[in-house]
Amino acid sequence: MNLFIKLVSGSIRSQMQYKINFLVSSLSYALIMAVDFILLAAILHRFDNVKGWNLYEVGLLYGISSVAITLYRVFGVEIHNFEKYMIEGEFDSLLIRPVSPLSLLLTKNLDLSRIGGTVQGVLILAISIIGLSLKDFDMFLLLVYLPISIFSGLIICFSLGLLTATIAFWTQRIKDFQVFTLYAPFNAANYPMNIYPGWLKLIFFTVIPVGFMNYTPILFLLNKGGTVWNLALPPAVALVFLFLTLRFWQFGIRHYHSTGS
Amino acid sequence: MIVADQLNKHFKIYETKRGFVGSMTSLFSTKHHLVKAVNDISFEVKEGEFVGYIGPNGAGKSTTIKMLSGILHPTSGKIEVSGLSPQKRRKEVAKKIGIVFGQRTQLWWDLPLRDSFDILKEMYKVPDAKYNQFLKLYDDMLQIGKFMNTPVRKLSLGQRMRGDLAAAMIHDPDVLFLDEPTIGLDVNAKTSIRAFLKELNSNEKKTILLTTHDMDDIEQLCSRVIVINHGQLVLDGTLDDLKQTIGLPSVMEVQYRSKPENIEPLHGIEKMSWENGKLILLYDRTILSSPALLQSVTKWGEPIDIQMKEPEIEEVIRKIY
Repeated sequence: MNLFIKLVSGSIRSQMQYKINFLVSSLSYALIMAVDFILLAAILHRFDNVKGWNLYEVGLLYGISSVAITLYRVFGVEIHNFEKYMIEGEFDSLLIRPVSPLSLLLTKNLDLSRIGGTVQGVLILAISIIGLSLKDFDMFLLLVYLPISIFSGLIICFSLGLLTATIAFWTQRIKDFQVFTLYAPFNAANYPMNIYPGWLKLIFFTVIPVGFMNYTPILFLLNKGGTVWNLALPPAVALVFLFLTLRFWQFGIRHYHSTGS
Repeated sequence: MIVADQLNKHFKIYETKRGFVGSMTSLFSTKHHLVKAVNDISFEVKEGEFVGYIGPNGAGKSTTIKMLSGILHPTSGKIEVSGLSPQKRRKEVAKKIGIVFGQRTQLWWDLPLRDSFDILKEMYKVPDAKYNQFLKLYDDMLQIGKFMNTPVRKLSLGQRMRGDLAAAMIHDPDVLFLDEPTIGLDVNAKTSIRAFLKELNSNEKKTILLTTHDMDDIEQLCSRVIVINHGQLVLDGTLDDLKQTIGLPSVMEVQYRSKPENIEPLHGIEKMSWENGKLILLYDRTILSSPALLQSVTKWGEPIDIQMKEPEIEEVIRKIY
């Protein structure tokens, strides 16, 4: 624990050495996120609803998905930028320590500039919940379940990030893969899954299980279908997925090639 | 202390193309060629030995060190460091070894040196009393106290290397792996680091495995030399063994006012060549003394500049064949 605090505080102090850079990147990221949502709102405003989901209902999906991915971008920044460890052979430095490389990666750096995105996601969630004007009981259940949903989403996102990072042990570069394994699925998860064709739905409920993060539980919470299992399944799926990913990661480390020096 | 038994490391080099399609195809392609970076190497290092592990670039030095420290998994063969396998029990081995890569710092780039030490102290769970003792001892030995509060990126290369060396010793490891610790340093910095390593080996009884391109490092520090080339072990013995095997040629470079007409070959000169208008002489000092050669050189013509050089490791390795 002591080590964790030391590492994290070290990372924050390192970033503060480049203050201007920090401010500019926070600002630009918040701006991109805002434009993204305004676009979504504009589309919904024009069409009123998407396959039976109104603006506030989609807002719930959007909020959960964007809070999950931005939290991952804050805490998992070194996982996300894992490429450089392969290309520059920096992974060596992690393997000479008596601590697991994964915990070193997670504590090495925090990307605080992404917190703006998280705040924005939470705001959208708040606006959506107020706009929905649910019955007391449904409201209570939704509020209790939201953190669980975000947690499942974060775990799924982290696992996908780690899965993609592991590919780097073989391919070195992963930036192109991230589009397919992270950006596109999480963008897709901003909308209800029923708008997608069957094969795509299959992907989002199996190999890239982003559908479980928000669509499955919200379906039940908004009385659009499903059973109580819709609430139990997401965290279970997230944890199983995490377990499998960690196994794959361990397997990848054994195949680490390092670079010449 | 360190055992390598029939160690092999083969790399499959796949052709990687750029872009998504390129990465995809390289992920599934089976086109590759096999590189035997380390090819059937066996040796044993006893406690308190100071071993120079040398060879030209790409010979497999770093790959060996990375396998010994648990970074890479060997294709086949057995490794033991302090009686443990670095592959199966990496974390335990990590506590018993210290590693310095001359080309890459292990310190936190943007933080003061002291902060790196503090983090490492927590990482290796070093007790406070021992840590304070460490800081005092290493300030005496490496004079790191002066720049303890300077961010690492602002340190000179020599200071940074001293910081790196101290950082590798924070948990008081028994074994040290040093991968080119003197690379790029000036003479003063090299001297102080050599003095430190010597002390570490003789007073603290640390077992040290050192790779270097600097023959002076080897001559002044190593009681034993292991030479590898193309991943294979070509010599394992004392420095004298090495010298006897290859007769370490000395080099003399002579620049003449005008190119001399007749140069008589002398017994002891192994190679003679012209490079950029300079006469390069490789000679064996045990047969032909430097003053004797100097006399002949002045007889051949009118020299305007004479330089003496010690052989580079690449030259030494080439001589073995």
